[in-house]
Amino acid sequence: MAQQTMTVHLKVWRQSGSDSQGRFEQYTAEDLNPHMSFLEMLDVVNEDLIHAGEDPIAFDSDCREGICGTCGFVINGQAHGSERGTTVCQLHMRSFNDGDTIVIEPWRARSFPVIKDLVVDRDAFDRIISAGGYVSVGTGPKPDANSIKIGKDVSDKAFDSAACIGCGACVAACPNASASLFTGAKITQLALLPQGKPERTRRVQRMVHQMEDEGFGNCSNIGECEAVCPKEISIDNIAKMKREYLRAMLSDT
Amino acid sequence: MIPLKRALSSPVGRKFVMSISGIALVLFVIVHLLGNLTLYVPDGGETFNRYAAGFDAIGPALYVIELGLLAVIVIHIGWGITTALKNRKARPDDYAVSVNSKGGPSNLSLASKNMIVTGVALGIFLVVHIWHFRIRKIYVADNTEIDGQQHADLYALVHTAFSDPFWVAFYVGAMVFFGFHLRHGFWSTLQSLGAMKPEWSKGIYALGFLVAVVLTVGFMGIPLYIYFLA
Amino acid sequence: MTKLDARMPDGPLQQKWEQRLEEMKLVAPNNKKKHDVIVVGTGLAGASAAATMGELGYSVKAFCIQDSPRRAHSIAAQGGINATKNYPNDGDSIWRLFYDTIKGGDFRSREGNVYRLAQVSNHIIDQAVAQGVPFAREYGGDLANRSFGGAQVSRTFYARGQTGQQLLLGAFQAMMRQVDRGKVKMYPRREMLDLVLVDGVARGIITRNLVTGEMERHAADAVVLCTGGYGRTYFLSTNAFNSNATAAWRCHKRGAYFANPCYVQIHPTCIPQSGDYQSKLTLMSESLRNDGRVWVPKDEADVDKPPHQIPESERDYYLERKYPAFGNLVPRDVASRNAKYMCDKGLGVGATGRAVYLDFRDAIEEQGRDVIEDKYGNLFHMYHKITDEDPYEVPMRIYPAVHYTMGGLWVDYELMSTIPGLFVAGEANFSDHGANRLGASALMQGLADGYFVIPFTVGNFIAEYDVQKVSTDHKAFDATEDDVQDQIERMMSIGKEGSRTVIEIYRDLGKIMYDQVGMSRTKEGLEQAREEIVGLREEFWNDVKIPGRADGYNKMLELAGRLADFLELSELMAIDASERDESCGGHFREEYQTDEGEALRRDDEFCYVAAWEYDEDGDPKMHKEELEFENVELSTRSYK
Repeated sequence: MAQQTMTVHLKVWRQSGSDSQGRFEQYTAEDLNPHMSFLEMLDVVNEDLIHAGEDPIAFDSDCREGICGTCGFVINGQAHGSERGTTVCQLHMRSFNDGDTIVIEPWRARSFPVIKDLVVDRDAFDRIISAGGYVSVGTGPKPDANSIKIGKDVSDKAFDSAACIGCGACVAACPNASASLFTGAKITQLALLPQGKPERTRRVQRMVHQMEDEGFGNCSNIGECEAVCPKEISIDNIAKMKREYLRAMLSDT
Repeated sequence: MIPLKRALSSPVGRKFVMSISGIALVLFVIVHLLGNLTLYVPDGGETFNRYAAGFDAIGPALYVIELGLLAVIVIHIGWGITTALKNRKARPDDYAVSVNSKGGPSNLSLASKNMIVTGVALGIFLVVHIWHFRIRKIYVADNTEIDGQQHADLYALVHTAFSDPFWVAFYVGAMVFFGFHLRHGFWSTLQSLGAMKPEWSKGIYALGFLVAVVLTVGFMGIPLYIYFLA
Repeated sequence: MTKLDARMPDGPLQQKWEQRLEEMKLVAPNNKKKHDVIVVGTGLAGASAAATMGELGYSVKAFCIQDSPRRAHSIAAQGGINATKNYPNDGDSIWRLFYDTIKGGDFRSREGNVYRLAQVSNHIIDQAVAQGVPFAREYGGDLANRSFGGAQVSRTFYARGQTGQQLLLGAFQAMMRQVDRGKVKMYPRREMLDLVLVDGVARGIITRNLVTGEMERHAADAVVLCTGGYGRTYFLSTNAFNSNATAAWRCHKRGAYFANPCYVQIHPTCIPQSGDYQSKLTLMSESLRNDGRVWVPKDEADVDKPPHQIPESERDYYLERKYPAFGNLVPRDVASRNAKYMCDKGLGVGATGRAVYLDFRDAIEEQGRDVIEDKYGNLFHMYHKITDEDPYEVPMRIYPAVHYTMGGLWVDYELMSTIPGLFVAGEANFSDHGANRLGASALMQGLADGYFVIPFTVGNFIAEYDVQKVSTDHKAFDATEDDVQDQIERMMSIGKEGSRTVIEIYRDLGKIMYDQVGMSRTKEGLEQAREEIVGLREEFWNDVKIPGRADGYNKMLELAGRLADFLELSELMAIDASERDESCGGHFREEYQTDEGEALRRDDEFCYVAAWEYDEDGDPKMHKEELEFENVELSTRSYK
């Protein structure tokens, strides 16, 4: 079986540092195996660049199986590329056509400054979590795990929210660069579970305000975040965040 | 408890303000359209003028209501503009290839992306509209007699305006913006208040389309009806 | 050899840990904040250790190479976590988990450590549930359990196929809470490049800021290494792209013994490589072997034919043929080894010829597509997405891949290495899995170490040693930083002129390792591998090409430094494998097999831990820690 190969033309955002001016550079990637992942294609391009004495394209990636949330950039205006429920590491060249021109840009948001090329700084997400994305329990003796009963339905729903990998695609795709889906998912997970209820008022308040202080935009209920989310987390999590916030506004404590 | 000032400027709280003021405005607009339907009565404007005269009966309280309405509008616009500015600031460098929807659950559309554009356009329209029919009703309109009392002949004002193709085009155009704004806004108010369940979402979004079409067609029909038929 | 004191408490197995906890010295609450502790790595072990020590009041500095601590590779663990809760009432107990783990490790681990692991396993589940980790549940609200990896009891807790992710996020969030409280200071995008010793005690680390390239010095009263395994020595593995052994190896070079480096677990059901461009393999849960049948064509001429054109009579269901009792459910190492043999014989399928079929045709016929979809839907979906082949229609192709390393830095019962003040937890240490690890035990060990062992043993160390503060201006920091800086400069200067990229050399190393230090090893092959590794190392230090500069973000420079260490560690792996003249667990030496082709363990001679001392001249010295089994009887497994 002769392996069919393909060629694509890349327009890649190159930016040497956070303070420098970026620009698009064009590359042609030839003899590609359609079964390559998008990142493997970039690996091949980078090997050629290194041999040619040029600086390889910087991008972040780690697990390369769609769970760590490290990779991600915008391909032809779509976060993580055109396939739904997918990170770029799980996007394959076969979803492109031979001869395609592909424009690659980093996540663009004030709160995600570019470090280099396609690499951005997502520390803002960690600060949102540290503002309240946890149950305040220390390590130590705890009641038996089965002493807390949680119905399967609630547990499954909480899991759906907990599946977030923190990749930042929601922010990248949102016309307002809002982090509401990320923040809402963690608030929802913990608000659904009995373990998270005691501090839900404090949590939603602190996380939402942290999200604001980080400079993310506001949610306009457009829902593109859900469409690009590799874990297909629903914007119902945002609605839940709003209910939690309203509840916190009206609560006595 | 969250300090009200902080809450109302927070990403969530500010959308509550937008939603509640938005709902108030939609309700007003529905009442406004119901009243204006009298313009479709082919009686030379008598029913309409009678309806308009009804407001005079309210007396000075009308000003209080109008000022209240104006406040809601100002709040809606004010919060809307500051929200949009914050959103713009959240992405100082835009994409070379603008966001290209992945479809599915996304409501990314001309309507949803351009709420601030349609909103600002409607704000400008409102100024013109208030001057055109509310201010000019006081200072420009002739009088007409209804049940032995003098009232402004608002119908004449409307009729004159909508005999002019410029004004017809202006109002019809404005209503296009209105339709787009409502198309996303109706659903958005509910989602922003958290009053949404995933299973309702699609239905409400479709209902938003229906509401937008009915209200838009209702309003848009008036200048066209008067221009072509009355 | 006097150095290898495991500090195992006397007394009965069941009371060792409790006894040790009672003996330990404590640090007064108001003094804890005066003590700095460095935690390197933020996976399950690191995040849980940092969180717990922060809660206790220590001033913790946590480091990770990822852009966020939430991305450590623990996140990719799919299957589950074992605990002896015995919720299903199927007779599980601490003893059984202990025994299964010892036996699964082919009697090459320490009884005391493994028993402690089984003892604290239940606390992990309680802890995780209290944190809001969404484990799978029954309709009534109880936690769900499943049997995993051939265990005879259902003791595995899971969160869909993302157990590692959910447990890690639990630990990560606990740590971020301490970040908020100011008790943990987080340093992401930092790579630990050396350990600083003052008077022979670990007192700090040198890190490179991966964004700016700057060298940074951090001093502390204790250093806890939680940097994972060394599976990436093989280049292709299920480990993450950035997983590496650099921190552990550089500690080894500073005096920490490296134990049992040859124990590597190779997982049989991975998606095969599709081409040379690949740098990472994807694991699929081995539960697939419950219903899938493994086969290759009988005739070499058929390997390129579409599988449905190969008639039943021309298929060799080799696992069923060779192991009638266990069939396709033989343990990981047996399944992996046999796949390699078949491919070596030229019977491998797929584009690269390095794959065997895992066929669900019969299972679908017997049980119906719905049932199979219900059991494996997500795995089939993943496979389909990656390979573009529908496993409901076409048999899956699978091939083994390196997955986990049981060896690691030698530690005593308190998880302290041979360098005082340097603690090692999680996959980075060697302690609990012996020569092979049971499924769903890696998460358990990481969290056991981090939540329930390290916080106490580090405290004991601090209290006992009465450590005095050192400043990062100390000359030991100067010297160590100079060493690191020298190495980087050397690499960069060679890198300007070199002709072979880091990836090219790295790929060659992977090939040597898979061929000779992989699933099936021979003395001859190991010696050849050693020579080849030495040659490749020379090539690296003469001809590697590294782009860019050292004073900024430079992925290839990072990778070059890691490869330099892998090129040394791999040699030690080959030496260790060659010295261990027996087959046990993940280590299979062809010379040592039974007449039936099974692993032949040689307990009389090799019942020890091989802890290697670094030698600059390439002649490492082995120290033996004899393993004493007072509570279990050594038995031999059989899968016929």
